[in-house]
Formats: sequence, C-alpha cells, structure tokens
Amino acid sequence: MKMSEVGWRGSDCIQRLVLTVFLVIGLVGLAGGGAASAGDLSPEEILRQGERMYREGILPSGKPMQAYVSGDIPMEGTSFTCISCHLRSGIGSFEANVATPPTTGLHLYLPRKRTIEGFEHVPSYHKYATYFPPRPAYTDETLGDLIRSGDDPTGRSVLKVMPRYDIDDDDMAILIAYLKTLSPELSPGISKEEIKFATVIGPGVDQVASDSMLVPLEFQVSRKNAQAKTYKNNDRLARMAFNMIGPDLGAKSFSLAKWVLKGPPETWRAQLEEYYRAEPPFALLGGIVNGDWAPIHSFCEDHRLPDLFPITDYPAISDSDWYTLYFSRGIRQEGEAAARYLHGMYDLFSGRNIVQVVRDNREGQALAIGFREAWAKTGHPAPLEVVLKDGEELTPERLRKIASTKNPAALVVWDDDKSLPALASLGDLKEDKPGIVMVSGSFLGQSFWHIPEQARKLIYLTYPYRLPQDEARFDTNIKSILVGKPMADYDQTIIRRSYITGEVLNRALVKMRDQYYRDYLLDVIGMMANAVYPLYEGMTFGPGQRYTVKGCYIVQLGPGEKPQLERRSEWVIQ
Amino acid sequence: MKRSFGGVLLFVATFLVFVIQPVHAEDRPYQRSIVSLSIPDVVLVNQEGEKVRLRTYLESDLPVAVDFIYATCTTICPILSAGFTNLQRQLGDDSGRFRLVSITIDPEHDSPEIMKDYLDRYRAKQGWDFLTGSRADINRVMEGFDAYFPEKMSHRPLYFVRTGEAGRWVRIEGMVDGQSLLKEIDNTVNK
Repeated sequence: MKMSEVGWRGSDCIQRLVLTVFLVIGLVGLAGGGAASAGDLSPEEILRQGERMYREGILPSGKPMQAYVSGDIPMEGTSFTCISCHLRSGIGSFEANVATPPTTGLHLYLPRKRTIEGFEHVPSYHKYATYFPPRPAYTDETLGDLIRSGDDPTGRSVLKVMPRYDIDDDDMAILIAYLKTLSPELSPGISKEEIKFATVIGPGVDQVASDSMLVPLEFQVSRKNAQAKTYKNNDRLARMAFNMIGPDLGAKSFSLAKWVLKGPPETWRAQLEEYYRAEPPFALLGGIVNGDWAPIHSFCEDHRLPDLFPITDYPAISDSDWYTLYFSRGIRQEGEAAARYLHGMYDLFSGRNIVQVVRDNREGQALAIGFREAWAKTGHPAPLEVVLKDGEELTPERLRKIASTKNPAALVVWDDDKSLPALASLGDLKEDKPGIVMVSGSFLGQSFWHIPEQARKLIYLTYPYRLPQDEARFDTNIKSILVGKPMADYDQTIIRRSYITGEVLNRALVKMRDQYYRDYLLDVIGMMANAVYPLYEGMTFGPGQRYTVKGCYIVQLGPGEKPQLERRSEWVIQ
Repeated sequence: MKRSFGGVLLFVATFLVFVIQPVHAEDRPYQRSIVSLSIPDVVLVNQEGEKVRLRTYLESDLPVAVDFIYATCTTICPILSAGFTNLQRQLGDDSGRFRLVSITIDPEHDSPEIMKDYLDRYRAKQGWDFLTGSRADINRVMEGFDAYFPEKMSHRPLYFVRTGEAGRWVRIEGMVDGQSLLKEIDNTVNK
C-alpha cells in the first residue's frame, strides 16, 4: 500500500494500540525473543526508553550511548544522537550535500529501490532517490549490525557520515522497537483528496487585524484548490503540476477551518479540544488573539499539532518545545536588542548607571524582562528601575527628574505614545542629559515619527522590521494576493506576516514529498534555506530553531519634516 | 628472460611510488591543498561574550586550526567538531597550547550562550573558541578563507590549519577521519 493512501483517523487510544503491536512484534522479533530484560518492560516504558535513546543518546541504564565518529573517534552518544541527523520524524534530512535516509520502521523494513514507485518522473523525487543506493529490506539483525558496525546489508559502509554505536542486545531491541513506532501512520488531517488546516481567532480581536491575518491564508487555500481542480480537468497543466510537485500534492485540495474562541483564556482549552475532536487538522496556520499565546501553545504541544507563525507579540519562550513555530520572541526581543546594543558601547559609559523606566503593563513588562535578562548575560551591574503604574502619567518634569537624580549614561524608557512630550523635553536639556535615550518603536507606535528635531539625536528606537524605505518594494507581493482590494484596508504588519506563513507552507509541502507527518513538516521547515520575505530583514531557519526572526534594528529618526529611519545597528546585534 | 631480484625491487618500488600512492591519494575522502589567505581585520565575539580581534587572534604564536560550523547543524558540523574534540583529547593537558577556532556560519542564531552550550556538549577544553559576529563580518571572514557559503544549508566540511609561513594555510576539505586529521595537523604544525 502506498503511504500516501494511508489515512489516519485513530484516536489516541487506537494509536497506543498500534504502538503496542509494533513494540511487541519488535521485541519478539529481535534475537528470537532473547531480549529478556527489555521484554519485561511495558510498551509505554519501551517507548519512553527508546525515545530517550533516539532523541538524547541516553541508554536505559542512564549512561550515554558510546559512539565512534568517522569510524575511530570515540564520542558520547549525547553529542551524536539519532535525532540530530534523522530528525524527529525519522524521515531524514538533506543538508550540505549529505543525505540522511529515513529511519522509520516503514522505510527500513522495505527494500530500497533506485526510484520511488509512482514518482519516477517527478524531478524532485527522482533526485532524492538517487542519493540512496538500493538495498534489501533490513531485518532486526541486519539493522543491529548497521548501527553497531556501520555496514549496511550490501556491505556498504556508512561510517563516513554516521557514527557506529556500542549497544548491547537488550538496548538494541528497545531502540529498534522504537524505530518501528516512529511516524507509523500519516498524521491526522490528511486524506488522499485533502489537507485540513485550521486557524484560531481570539475574542475581541480587531476586525481589521483578523481580516489581515485571514486574507493571505484564504488566498493560498483558494489558489491551491483551483490548482487541484485544474489538475483533474486540464491535462497540459496537470503535467506541469505533476513535474513540479508530484501527483499526490498536485491532486490535494486545502481547507481552512476557523476556530473562533470566546470568553476568558482559561476557557479556551475546552473550546480548542472541542474543535479538535470534531475535525483534527494537519496543522494550525497563523492565528491571532489578544495577549499571551501560551494557552494555544500548550494545546499544540499536547496534541503534537504544528502551528505555523501565530500573530502574537507574546509567544511562549522555550528552548525545548517543538510544535509552535514563531516569527520571533515577540516584543521582548526589542528589549533584548536594546541591551545588546548598549552593551556594545558600555566602555563609553565610564561606570555610570543605566536606568530602565517601565510602564507596568504587558508591553512594558515584556520589554523590561527582555532587557533585564539580556543585560544580565553581559555581566554588567543591573540597571536601576523606575516603574510607572498603569495609568500614571509620565510628565516631562518626572522624566527630567529621573534623568537629573539618577544621572544615567543611558535612559531606557518602555512606554507608549503618551510619553512622547516627556521624551521630547529631554532634547532641551543642557545639563544632566543622559548620553542616550532608548525607546521601543513598537510600543510608541506611529507616534515616533513625531519626535521633534531637537530630540532626534538623543533618542534611539528599537525597530523590529525592515526599514520602511527598503520595504516598499515588497508591496507588489502583497498586492498580488489582494487581487484589487486596497492595501490601506489592512494592517500592514499582520498581512505581511500572514503572507509569509502561506509562502513557507507552500515551500514545505513541496519538500515533504508526500510524507505527511506533522513532525516532518517542522523538520522540513527547519532544513529550509533562508529566503527573502516581506517585513523582516532576515528570517533564518535551522533544525529545531523556533524563533525565525532573530534581528531588530536600533534606529534614529533622520532630519527634516519627512524623516527617514537611519540604521544605527546591524539587524542582529551580538 | 629471468628478471633480476634488484630489477623486481625497482619495479615494485616504482609501482608503489607512481601507482599505489596516487591511487591512494585519490581514494582519500578529503582534499588537501596549500592556500594563501588574507584574514579580514574584524572583531568577533566568543562564547563568553568577549570581543576577539580575529586577525590578531589567528596570528598567535600557538598553532591554529579553524573550521566553519553552526550550532544546530544536523550533518557535517558535528563530525567536524568531533575532530576538534579528538584533537584536544590527544593533546591532554596541553590542549590550551593549540588554538582551535570554530566560526559560526549562522550568526543570526548562534549567540554566545548557544555557542557555550555547544562547546560544553563537545567537551571542549581551554583552547577551543567558538566565534560569532555580525552577518557582514562573518561573510567577510568566509570570503577571507575562500569559504563563502551563501546559505548555511549548502556548506561544506572544511578545516584550515595555519602553516609556519605567513598567510599560508593548509585547507582540508571533506570528511576526514580522526587519525588522518591528526596526521595532517601534525605534518603542518611540526613541519
């Protein structure tokens, strides 16, 4: 049976049953059931221990696996885990002219041929297949031999790129049993005809904002569906699509469900569960809520459901969570950029303080946390802090007093547009003037364009996008999806972000070559080459990287009535 | 005609010199060449967040080897780093007397904190530094080493070992096993 014909409709309960069958077969099959201690373990425990070996390089004993790299360099397996090359899905990777083949049971226990059946004439599939020489199907024994010696069943050595591992029979049985459960069935939301997606819209989201998020996604869906229809009805175009994306993706249509949430965030989980139960999607695309993304983030982690690029300034920050791919670390990233920029000029401060003035609301606190944490990593003394209660006015007198009494080398002000008169008044100071005043372009909003001329040399802004004068050329991309609708009707940062989501999704699906596993979607995006997109000066992907926009400019407002932003830093400040 | 023993030896020696060795060299899974490099005068940042003036740093009295890697690489960088781990292991307590320099090709992601974690993972000892910097400076460094990768996903396995001659480096490209790397480095720095 072709894998693209396999649909997955099982509940978690059925999935556990499938895993159990795989695990039992795996353990009995290896060494004639001689893996006595492994055989004593429950299927769940075998899965846990096998996953730990695969992902962390840790043996069931708790010791690291022993690997030998390039045939002869002894290394701990924790530095050379299976996942680091074969990836989380087990479908493998292709990077730097090194192709890593799939290591899932479905692939290992079938013979590998020179071509992929049914896809012989699709260039991307054909090229992929040529990287891997034919071999017979593995048995548990020959697979164990490969992992221990580096020789495949044809006698070909893989030691040039893959380590060999010292693993005893019991532990090998666990690892092999785990490989048999890796990506065993296509993910939910996939059928022969369709890929189901969904997006989330939170309560109270501004209509323009939600429309700006939806328009690019709906454009992608309708374009793909028109293409799928053409694929069925027009032979000439079908052949083109066949050559470009293969018969499987070419024939599939997309759907996009809107999961509209109501009420307070603590009630969202139940609503998400209900939507999911009714129709599980392959992935969430975008999504927009007011406030923290954490409730949707944790829902996606629990259901192993990818979410590509939600529109949020408050993402969950994690080094290890897997399923939500964010544009950036949100507004706190501006605070981090400010800290690194000031660190670069710290030698000029002659030991004087930095003062951080923080509006006590979500934006102000997120910026302050980002600044504080990044500043702490520099090893410099902590900044002095002044907290402004929500609603408390920051008057020119108050800000001047802070400047004169604290005498800071740098005054960092995380406040909204109401602080503009106070900020502007600092330009008039003759004495007790800080060397630099740092503010957030996002928090001030469009009002920063009105910073008066006399204060412009003093005030530096964090600006997390490509500069406006360089961004105009990308208007063409956005107009192409608006099909005649006026651009002014949409929020320009949101529509651009959502446009990127559609583009990344398209690229990823083509690269997946009908291997529709949720983990593989994220694996593939992690392996993508960097590309130029609207809005951000740089989006960089990488295996396991979950915040793709790493940069933020520090800028100043130039002279004149129609000033331009002038760059004062690199996009990424180290 | 009966061939003399000396003649057979000469034939064998000739065969070894002109036939066996070149074939062996071609079979080597890596290429070795001597290159002249101009190191750009840029300031990078190491895993401790300290500024490092690269040209001065590489002109140290200590022997120097350089590679280009990035922290989340899934293929060749772990193997290159294993080569450095192995070298430091062989040097034992003298590891600090050989300067190993890994330069990131993913400066947008590889912050000092991430680089420090990476070195810990490879049991790096004193003498092995991991450097990042601005994209513009990293590009200049890659160009200086004639190792510019427009895209990190298409990079290649490269080591550079400084020779005793100013500006001259040994360039090793390909998957080199631990013993061969040690020999190449030994041949270069002890020449």
